[in-house]
Amino acid sequence: MTKNAIGSIFFLAFSSFYFFNVFSIKKMPMSQFDVMTASTFPFYMGLAGIVISLLIFIMSFVDKDTDFLELSYIKSLDFKTTLYFIAAMIFYGFTIRSLGFIISTVIFLAIGFVLLKEKNVKRIFLISVGVSVGFYLILNNVLGVYIDPGMVVEYFVGDQS
Amino acid sequence: MMDGVFAGVVTAFSVYNILMVTVGCFAGTFIGMLPGLGPISAIALMIPITYGMDPSSGLILIAGVYYGAIFGGSTSSILINAPGVAGTVASSFDGYPMAKGGQAGKALAIAAYSSFSGGTIAAIFLLFAAPALAKVSLSFQSSDYFALMVLGLTAVAAFAGKGKFLKAAIMTIFGLMLATVGTDSDSGIARFTFGRLDLIDGISFLLLAMAAFALSEAMMNILDKKEQTQQEKDELNKSIGSLKLTREEVKEMAPTVARSSVLGFFVGVLPGAGATIASFLAYGMERSFANVKEKLKFGKGSIKGLAAPESANNAACSGSFVPLLTLGIPGSGTTAIILGALISYGIQPGPTMYVDNPTLFWSVIVSMYLGNLVLLVLNLPLIPYIAKLLTLPKQLLLPLIIFFSLIGVYLVTFNNFDIYMMTLFAVVALFLRIIDFPMAPMILGFILGGMMEDNLRRALTISDGSLAFLWERPITLTILILTVIMLLMPLVSEIYGKMKKGKEI
Repeated sequence: MTKNAIGSIFFLAFSSFYFFNVFSIKKMPMSQFDVMTASTFPFYMGLAGIVISLLIFIMSFVDKDTDFLELSYIKSLDFKTTLYFIAAMIFYGFTIRSLGFIISTVIFLAIGFVLLKEKNVKRIFLISVGVSVGFYLILNNVLGVYIDPGMVVEYFVGDQS
Repeated sequence: MMDGVFAGVVTAFSVYNILMVTVGCFAGTFIGMLPGLGPISAIALMIPITYGMDPSSGLILIAGVYYGAIFGGSTSSILINAPGVAGTVASSFDGYPMAKGGQAGKALAIAAYSSFSGGTIAAIFLLFAAPALAKVSLSFQSSDYFALMVLGLTAVAAFAGKGKFLKAAIMTIFGLMLATVGTDSDSGIARFTFGRLDLIDGISFLLLAMAAFALSEAMMNILDKKEQTQQEKDELNKSIGSLKLTREEVKEMAPTVARSSVLGFFVGVLPGAGATIASFLAYGMERSFANVKEKLKFGKGSIKGLAAPESANNAACSGSFVPLLTLGIPGSGTTAIILGALISYGIQPGPTMYVDNPTLFWSVIVSMYLGNLVLLVLNLPLIPYIAKLLTLPKQLLLPLIIFFSLIGVYLVTFNNFDIYMMTLFAVVALFLRIIDFPMAPMILGFILGGMMEDNLRRALTISDGSLAFLWERPITLTILILTVIMLLMPLVSEIYGKMKKGKEI
């Protein structure tokens, strides 16, 4: 399948979903007298999205598009590491409040370095700890942005705020 | 006007702001050098830092980052033939052969001097063009603004390149759709929030910009597994040689720089065109001006071939600020990000900014020039050392870029839902990158979406629901005619191309 055809199917699905949801936008009482309601602009955007994605789909066949998404290219991509990274990002979002900024950042960075095959443990430790503690100190002491260090750090070091 | 210029000079030349522009230039140069990361990512990464500053200093830092990123992109183009920014691709045509021939220092110096001259000429143009346009645009009404936004968005699609018109158009619509998420500014009705309170304020522009650019670019690097080759490493470790230019070389490049700067500035002013088109046009123009002997040098290390795109892309960067500062309408992805930053500072760019906030208006213009000066005086001599940063291993850089992207957005709201949403958008952006759908029109559509809807509503209300506002005012009508011409341009050029091909056969 060509890249354009794949993209058009994605946007057709998205635009249809969007267009379908336009009808669930609530209306204000007496809104029938308004020249433009909350759903007018989204209605035309959804419609435009459907029309243009259909055009891309049709044109990819009319123009005899040859820009295929090659299987060899897909096989050359490192999906495994990328998926692990996405999981690490979600994990970071999940732990940043419960474990606190410093510990969750150290874990996230260390996982990131390991995933990208950094073998020097000392370097992993120094950079992940250095960046999280350094950034935390800059935020709290220089930029005046208070960020919770987390319960574990507070237990050992005490609340620095 | 002179009072405003003076206030701008005083603001831009305060010690703190000089420090900001210097930091911005260095940070921008470093980020711009990293293959895949361009000025949009560089600016997006810097925006959270500027939230604590006053708007002038924040914008001055951003302007420094912008110019630094363009310069950084040129550096990687010249040294390792890996442009970090699309606008510096043309610089690699002659810059890289020069570096390969042992003249890396000279090539970098030509790039820096040309960029500086391009920036200087464009700053002079900007000094006169911006206030003039701001005065004209004071008479603009909502229908004119609506038409201008339609023109801007159409131009982005029209200039996207052969066969990419529809792709850019759907990405613009995608951005416009995302802009409608959240509470409707007029009626207060929630749209597409699916009952989630986190979406009631809509999608943050910073979140979308960071996910679509910095985060997805870093993830693309992970997905692509492209390692720095030994040849690239060797080239970075090589001495770059002398940075000095001879009098003959300066004489040779002077007319090229002047021509390309003027061309670059005007191309930059056009919505949707920007640095990439300016640099390619300037390169093409110089090639056609050259005599047969000089023409042969193009692509093999021609001084003119390097000076032309470098001065044009820098002048175009300054030119792109004209519609942003005077009309409040960004013409490119980068200026769209800057507009987003301005709005988050509580400033609405446009003709009123020139009247209400002259200090900010002029300090940005002055600091752009200052940015060019910093690049020349500080960055150029330090470039051999800055370039060494390119040898930093990817396995250390990428997790750090992802961390700074995530935390930059998290620090604005302290809501971990933003991290999940960013991850989702980055995955979608990654998919769209794989199938070659451009990101810049999406961010432009997103930034302009809210304003476009507001102006359309206002225009419709004034005309009592009639569509006559589209042709009643001469300004609106002229802009819309231009839009139609722009819309038809790709179609006409395709038909013309087919006819020409048919004749050749």
